[in-house]
Amino acid sequence: MTGLEALSAASALDLLAFSPPGWGAVLLAGLANSVVIALGAYALGFGIGIGGAFGKLYGGPILKDLLAVYTTIVRAVPELVLILILFYAFTGLLNEALLSWGYDRVQISPIITGIVVLGVVQGAYQTEVLRGGILAVPAGQIEAARAMGMPSVVVARRIILPLMTANALPGLANLWLNATKDTALLAVIGFSELTKATYQASATTKAFFVFYPAAMLLYLGISLTSTLLIGRIEKWARRGQRDVRG
Amino acid sequence: MKKLVLAAVAALAFGTAVAAAPLKIGVAAEPYPPFTSPDASGNWVGWEVDFLGAICKQAALDCVITPTAWDGIIPALTSGQIDIIMSSMSITAERAKTIDFSDKYYNTPAMVMVAKDSTITPDAAGLTGKIVGVQVSTTHEAYTQKYFAPVAQEVKTYQTQDEANQDLAAGRLDAVMADSIALQAFLDSDAGKACCKSAGNVKSDPAILGAGVGFGVRKGDPVLAKLNDAIKAVRADGTYAAITAKYFPFDIYGE
Repeated sequence: MTGLEALSAASALDLLAFSPPGWGAVLLAGLANSVVIALGAYALGFGIGIGGAFGKLYGGPILKDLLAVYTTIVRAVPELVLILILFYAFTGLLNEALLSWGYDRVQISPIITGIVVLGVVQGAYQTEVLRGGILAVPAGQIEAARAMGMPSVVVARRIILPLMTANALPGLANLWLNATKDTALLAVIGFSELTKATYQASATTKAFFVFYPAAMLLYLGISLTSTLLIGRIEKWARRGQRDVRG
Repeated sequence: MKKLVLAAVAALAFGTAVAAAPLKIGVAAEPYPPFTSPDASGNWVGWEVDFLGAICKQAALDCVITPTAWDGIIPALTSGQIDIIMSSMSITAERAKTIDFSDKYYNTPAMVMVAKDSTITPDAAGLTGKIVGVQVSTTHEAYTQKYFAPVAQEVKTYQTQDEANQDLAAGRLDAVMADSIALQAFLDSDAGKACCKSAGNVKSDPAILGAGVGFGVRKGDPVLAKLNDAIKAVRADGTYAAITAKYFPFDIYGE
């Protein structure tokens, strides 16, 4: 079978059918894995980011330094390297330690590895984006809240978070789109997310021109859906604010 | 409640730490027909998969196939991500420094594959000035580095055998060296028939090409004895021959 024959519409549809011998179900399972990891990593990153941003701005000197080391190192090392370190080096050390203490060895599932690694990476970037969002909140608003006698937790919840959300959203939206695409890096540890599933399907059938465009459309689908949702969230977050577009 | 949640999270993360955990069998996460390849329903099929079924039944082991990246498959084993390697891995002295091997379960010669109209011979003279492709971290790469690299124009390494075959078909390589059965499976496919042919088997060098293919386990893992007993048993009771007959017209155990 040549590449051109594989391009013919009928055989392409057969290859993408949802039941075997079509590979549609394998691709969609890969897509589901990618989305689960992206969501998990983003949520973890958001938790780290909120804590990190407030810590960097209002924490003590030691906490500030530790957070600076974290964001600097994580943003300097490629995600790919972090994935390899966590999956091979870290689990190796963990298991050696567990065995020497008399416990059984553990196996960390690739999904958890993916969520943790990408979440730690997301956390570093989200810390910076959220810190920028907080800094953009007018100082007068915070002073006014303090003057009203609000404790810091209430200031954070009622004043800073609602006002910074609108500022941080464009940056956070970028990071979400990055998270969906970074899941493809997990292919290096043999995990069947969308990119690996696509590779396996096309390497087995040799129909590279069927499966890679299909994967491209699936990734595009994630992006378009996300953009739509983010637009709505941004509208909600900016409610009551003046539109500066001319 | 909090403890319950923690336990659930721990079970999710370290799901296989519990006592009756199935053994994770690492296979390279790529098609390597006719030994291991994924099918359209996401299952793994091939000679090695059938053979594994027979071995695990014989040894009463609970086995789960776990796709793993080939270039990290030994670290995955030593770090505990998988428990057994079953991925057509040749038994070599170099690898035996890091992991333990079972007895061999098949042994086949290495072959050089070339374009259909090529006159290349499978030796240093024939490959002088040519571009040779091999899969990275394989015995065939070691053999190519020793015998062909000094004379070849270039030795290109690939993450997967499949990619090397694709590049030979696309004309970016003059020759590919790999296991004869794996290459024969490609040559029997439509894509292989259209582009390529065998140039013959290379001269054997057991010190590099190894003493056949075996299961890889962590050093000192007691499961090794069970695997060896099971290999002997399926050889003796005819299961091995029956599985082999499904895929090959000859015995692949070697002498």
